[in-house]
Amino acid sequence: MNWISLSLKDWQRRPLRTGITLTGVAIAIAALWSLLSFQRGYQDGMQSELDRLGAHILVVPKGCPYDAASIALHGATWPCYLKQSYLKQVATTQGVATAAPAFMTAFYDATGAQNVYVGVDKSILALKRGWHIQGRFPQGRDELLVGSAVAERMKWHLGQQVNLPNVPGQGGQVSGILAPTQGADDSFIYMGLNDAQHLFKHPNELTHILVRLKDPDDLENTVAQLHGCSAGLEMNVVPLAHLFRTIQSLVNSTRLLLGCIALIALLVAGAGVSNAILMTVVERTREIGIMRALGASHSDIFRIFWLQTLQVCLVGGGIGVVVAFAASRTLEAWLRGRLPFAPTDTLIHWEWWIADVCLACSIILGSAAGLLPAWRAARLSPCEAMRASRGQM
Amino acid sequence: MPSPPKPSQTSPSLPVVEAVELTKIYHRGREEVRALNAATFRIERGEFVAVVGPSGAGKSTLLNLLGCMDAPTSGTLRITGQEVQGLSDQQRTRLRREQIGFVFQHFGLMPTLTVAENIALPTLFARRRLAQRVDELLEQVALSHRRNHRPHELSGGEMQRVAIARALVNNPQMLLADEPTGNLDTATGDTIISLFQQLHQAGLTVVVVTHNTPLASATQRQLTLRDGRVD
Repeated sequence: MNWISLSLKDWQRRPLRTGITLTGVAIAIAALWSLLSFQRGYQDGMQSELDRLGAHILVVPKGCPYDAASIALHGATWPCYLKQSYLKQVATTQGVATAAPAFMTAFYDATGAQNVYVGVDKSILALKRGWHIQGRFPQGRDELLVGSAVAERMKWHLGQQVNLPNVPGQGGQVSGILAPTQGADDSFIYMGLNDAQHLFKHPNELTHILVRLKDPDDLENTVAQLHGCSAGLEMNVVPLAHLFRTIQSLVNSTRLLLGCIALIALLVAGAGVSNAILMTVVERTREIGIMRALGASHSDIFRIFWLQTLQVCLVGGGIGVVVAFAASRTLEAWLRGRLPFAPTDTLIHWEWWIADVCLACSIILGSAAGLLPAWRAARLSPCEAMRASRGQM
Repeated sequence: MPSPPKPSQTSPSLPVVEAVELTKIYHRGREEVRALNAATFRIERGEFVAVVGPSGAGKSTLLNLLGCMDAPTSGTLRITGQEVQGLSDQQRTRLRREQIGFVFQHFGLMPTLTVAENIALPTLFARRRLAQRVDELLEQVALSHRRNHRPHELSGGEMQRVAIARALVNNPQMLLADEPTGNLDTATGDTIISLFQQLHQAGLTVVVVTHNTPLASATQRQLTLRDGRVD
């Protein structure tokens, strides 16, 4: 028998109370784990998504730039369009390395699956440096480059003549299949820009222009020049770094609120643990007296009750981490359905350091919550404790 | 039979307990309660002594003082030659842990611990590992077969035997027992009295506070307390 097992054995005394106390700690730690994992996942997901886009600036039609950015990143039908003539002005602006035009539209089929068509030219390859194409980029009319998820879902293979989903009477040949990117590109169907404009009856119009800079540090200067060009009044220039910062700050505001809730949950759990152990001290007053009579010092009694609190918090924290991990997919699905702008990557992205932080919080919580009951137990005089009847202090 | 304690670190000629004008005063509101009033007595090494007296005579107070659970208000109390009245709580705890074994009327066993763990509990407080001693004591109180049982699975007599084994595990110089037969039937009480006699014969100093006449008669000497004074 040692100090730890002595404290652990007391759990058996009130299993229901122990269970409720553990549950309180587990909920608080699960909330903390989910919050930290969400923060990590959302930040990483946003960054990866922007990196995959390969652009520093997005030029979109007038309107809400964040909606436009969301459509460009995830794919949808655009409500308005840019004149293709703007492309030349954007491309010739000082500091612009590549301006890749795009025409995007999307349809939903009967199963609810979305089919996104994107018309691009070869300049997109300067941005999408992470693309690995099996086959080749569309060169002739009606050639298609399809994302890996589309190829898998539609069971398309290289060189196959296919009918375009949701575009009756139109077909094309799969000239290339993209290796998985883990992003939205996996579910896009790329085709030549002219083909897309013609097919969807928007000749000489674009939905957006992806701009890559020669020097990313020269972003502010280039944005100012784009605003100042003759097409500047007819289009929105969205620096993606700004977009990232804005979205991140919106998420941070929410996170602060959620952080406060997690903190309150931790404090309530700590108070619950403290109260439960205080009740144990009251119930065990006579036993404390007996232990003092058997030679236990003040510090021995303190140690027994403090260790017990620590054990409850540590085990509760461990359960919280495991439960939060097990429930992370459900939570992610729930969040994804409610967040206005969610990256394609995993939203709940856990790492070992998050589990470490949660367990450290459990230890701190247990250490703090155990101080009062342990101190009250330790300061009991042996005579008073021996005299105490069960349930009195 | 439980093995006798090891020789004291103090001189064998010294009494185990020496009390001179021992006084304990409690305050109950404005009222002053003189629970022990200038009690003077000695208990020699290896004696078997019963502390008797009517309720409120000061028996429990005396037991608390002899067990170093409390400090006297005035007078001198020496336990195994060491003066108690000047000791800090920590020093009294150490003295209690090393020199005194306690047996309680209600046994005072920890319900979540097994018999063996209950016996070993004082060794945890003394930072000793005495697994073999626990086995010896279990055998001596004839409870080896019960070592992994919980207190609620034992009879009253068995619980008191476990409590006696626990009191002996740190090899104390003196065994203090507070009404050890108070919760037992006559036959079981006789077994416990017999166990105390064996301990006494093995050289241990045994002090019992009791109302039980057979137990008091079984001792060598009776200290009678009346109104806080030793007759």
